[in-house]
Amino acid sequence: MYVMEIKLGQLEDVSDVYNYYGKRPESGIQQREGKKAPTPRADKARQLYLEAKSSVSVEFPYWYTRRWEELEGEVPIIRRAEALKSGFAHLTPAILPGELLVMRKANYLRGSYPMPWLSEAFLLSKEDDLFKTAHKASADDITTIGQGGGNVTASVGNVISIAGKFGLRKEEIPILIKTAKRWLNRSVEDIGHKYEQLVPGYGTKEEIMRAVICMFDSGYTLPQGREVLNYYYPLQFGINGIKEICSKNLNNVAGRPGMDRLYFYKAVHTMLEGLQTWIKNYSEEARLMASLEKDETQKAEYHEIAERLDWLSENKPGTFHEALQLVWIFHVAVLNEDAISGLSPGRLGQVLYPFWKQDMAKGILTKEKTIELLECMRIKFTELDCFASMGVVGGVLSGNTFNNLCLGGLDKEGNSAANELEMLILESAMSCDTPQPTLSLLFDEKLPEEFLLKGVECTKIGTGYPAWINNRVAMEFLLNNFRKEGMESEEARAWAIGGCLETSPGSWMPLELNGEIYNIPGGSAPASSVGVHFISLPKVLEAVLFDGLDKRTGRRVYPAHGSELTTYEEVWTVFKHYFSMTVEVLTLTNNIQHDIWGKVSPSIINSMLKPDCLETGRDISHKGSRYNRTFNVEVCGGVNLVNSLASIKKNVFDQKSISMDELKTALKSNFGYLSALETGSYSLTEQFKTDEYNYWLRIHKLCLDAPKYGNDDKYADNIFREWQQWVSKMCENYRSMYDEPLYSCQISVSTHAPMGAVTLATPDGRLCGTAFADGSVSAYPGSDRHGPYALFNSATCYNHALSQNSQLNMKIHPSVVMGREGSRKFLEMIKAYLRKGGFHAQFNIVDSRMLRDAQINPSNYRGLMVRVAGFTQYWVELGKQIQDEVISRTEYEQLG
Amino acid sequence: MNHYDCKYYLNTDVFKGLCKRDKSSINADDQACENFVNARKCKYCSNFTLISTDLGTCMNKYDAYPEMSAVTCNEFS
Repeated sequence: MYVMEIKLGQLEDVSDVYNYYGKRPESGIQQREGKKAPTPRADKARQLYLEAKSSVSVEFPYWYTRRWEELEGEVPIIRRAEALKSGFAHLTPAILPGELLVMRKANYLRGSYPMPWLSEAFLLSKEDDLFKTAHKASADDITTIGQGGGNVTASVGNVISIAGKFGLRKEEIPILIKTAKRWLNRSVEDIGHKYEQLVPGYGTKEEIMRAVICMFDSGYTLPQGREVLNYYYPLQFGINGIKEICSKNLNNVAGRPGMDRLYFYKAVHTMLEGLQTWIKNYSEEARLMASLEKDETQKAEYHEIAERLDWLSENKPGTFHEALQLVWIFHVAVLNEDAISGLSPGRLGQVLYPFWKQDMAKGILTKEKTIELLECMRIKFTELDCFASMGVVGGVLSGNTFNNLCLGGLDKEGNSAANELEMLILESAMSCDTPQPTLSLLFDEKLPEEFLLKGVECTKIGTGYPAWINNRVAMEFLLNNFRKEGMESEEARAWAIGGCLETSPGSWMPLELNGEIYNIPGGSAPASSVGVHFISLPKVLEAVLFDGLDKRTGRRVYPAHGSELTTYEEVWTVFKHYFSMTVEVLTLTNNIQHDIWGKVSPSIINSMLKPDCLETGRDISHKGSRYNRTFNVEVCGGVNLVNSLASIKKNVFDQKSISMDELKTALKSNFGYLSALETGSYSLTEQFKTDEYNYWLRIHKLCLDAPKYGNDDKYADNIFREWQQWVSKMCENYRSMYDEPLYSCQISVSTHAPMGAVTLATPDGRLCGTAFADGSVSAYPGSDRHGPYALFNSATCYNHALSQNSQLNMKIHPSVVMGREGSRKFLEMIKAYLRKGGFHAQFNIVDSRMLRDAQINPSNYRGLMVRVAGFTQYWVELGKQIQDEVISRTEYEQLG
Repeated sequence: MNHYDCKYYLNTDVFKGLCKRDKSSINADDQACENFVNARKCKYCSNFTLISTDLGTCMNKYDAYPEMSAVTCNEFS
């Protein structure tokens, strides 16, 4: 049922504000299928987490900056390594009772910290008027952030709220500002900004950012991430072993051509010394905790922690527990290197399987103990926060950090890679349902049915994970893009999802454990999603219709096109022109930002982990990785663009039922409604009429009735296909700083809300300020009226391997998939979509009325999780824009 | 003195934490108990010189601040 009659502020009557496909549910709110309970240890840890607030510390940036300043004039990568070493060596250790896996980003449970070496303007703008306008991200102003859960949304007592999410002790503000000021004109942001202004057309870039046609620059906000980590080197060699590799290679390259290798090996060696001190400080803390402990079991656990850390500070792991702990140490270490979102552990169940298998065979590990450890791992990943400005952390990330763990797929020989440990990972994700790590199941026909049903069982209880990903489509994409760098089918199988949904290349590495060799997969490329981050397609169309202007601010973004737009082809041609201009200038400016990042603040830890940096002596910003074609163009609002083009084509040009001028005036008048920014309601389900409503009713109805994507309607789908084919091809016209072509990336994360917030009403009938459709192949809420299979036909009308990804979110009422029969029906539906060539599908199994109730009574729903777009998040930590959008999504009451 | 200044205070966030001795939940800014022991902070270090309410210097050459943890600082004395 499509929302033809928009509900008008009926807040007291919440029964009629949902979009359903199928029969409207009549009984009360339907609970999700029964959940499992975590182990008492994990339960306690999760409770502690749920009570904890996001907290920022100045410790790491202070020590980093202090050492950096001491080394003025030093080779940049050495200076950076020394700064990192000092930061790690001075982190105050904190071990909580009951922890089996220890160490964290900062000394708080949900701790993080600013990284002024990347960007300091945001911090300074809070303190100093001088910086209030400098580099200020417009996206900050139009983002809403969740008001509940662990977000510190207001300053209280001795705690100051920063970025609407993080708490910082008041007494740390002066040193934070002082530290930030030391990075003025020296941070990646400032130096990059200086040079990006040299790009021809830079003025257009500034206007694009101001208009929020582009969400943010990637070079200094989140320069790393959206990639898969590789834990091979620590697992194979241990820290001392890697140091020995560095020393040996250093001797081989010192004084020889290609001198950068010398500094790289020296930098890795230095950084590892810092990590060793960090680990040993934790070991010492564990002994302190043991000395204070009266409970003998807990005391023994502290001693075991200390011994484990002592061992791992130098040696390779020998057991599953040690391997998991070491994986965690390096995961956090990379996260402390830069502001990072989407650092995925990848196919961790396959990486750790050798250790698990051998421990099980020796009888030193049980499935029950494994579950407990895996639950503890889930808590640790869920603790991860990323400090960034409100526009980034709220508007893009929704407070999530997207650590994606992948399951299934194929092994090196092309057989199913699913294993027993992955079954336990799924089990622990059900018993300890926390947002992170999110799970992705790499679907292949070779995967056993039992494994797939386990995945469905997990999805069904409302976790939002695993997302279902098409292994074959991903491999096709990878081979298309990385064959030139030597990728073949065998290596394409090692891929995984980086971040929420970025297909990332991997490689097989030969892990030796007790005389046996195991080929383990791991990431083999730097950030697979940097470059042009989130172009708002409906906003570009708005500029097309209004001759290059941002109608929200009245500012000129693009040169006037001067076209009368008398044919559909003219509209499409001008759109392509403006879009291309956008991609061009953003590619060039982001190339500079990333180049500066690599020059002044290169990655050392992540570089060390990625094949083949240790072999080549080059860091990831100097093409040390095996695969480097990793820059992309991310877009948002594609379905609203397509629906709008369909409406223009149908109403203005084919049927001539509206003139272009009438349409434009109707858009400016928001079809006679108040804007979402005025009403605070960000979906179409609840909007408020103005006195002009009746005047615009006819045109609005025509726009809403125009063909819509998601209904197997060729009129809209042909436009969708043309857009997809064009954009994937045009991205290749632009080259990254690595001199490789770009590819398209089609995910929305959370940007569809803030980007919708600054966009006028659109020709598809969407109102001003409301969110766009999420993902890239999700239908606009309420517009998919012909069931899931019609939606699948629309979604797969083009080849998904043309792009790094596609994203389909669906919301299904829990009763539809209840029981074993429901599971099978559900699995068959998922398979049907993937067999058609769909790349990705993920599901919210939830009664929309529960979400509505949670919005009204958040305190009753602290643990409620929903799938947003490539990630699962606690409902109460989502901004209202996203909450409204998730509520309004079509709820499927039947699968056929 | 409050818990925030105590050696046995283990913070979980900027508002609160646990007592390392008895695992009880405590607020950072609440009054400490009789078992209070000074935390290792810059303000208790001989190398620290206070120059304003929340700022000072370390060894007369580095910026520093009184409430900073010095648990891992080799120069603490």
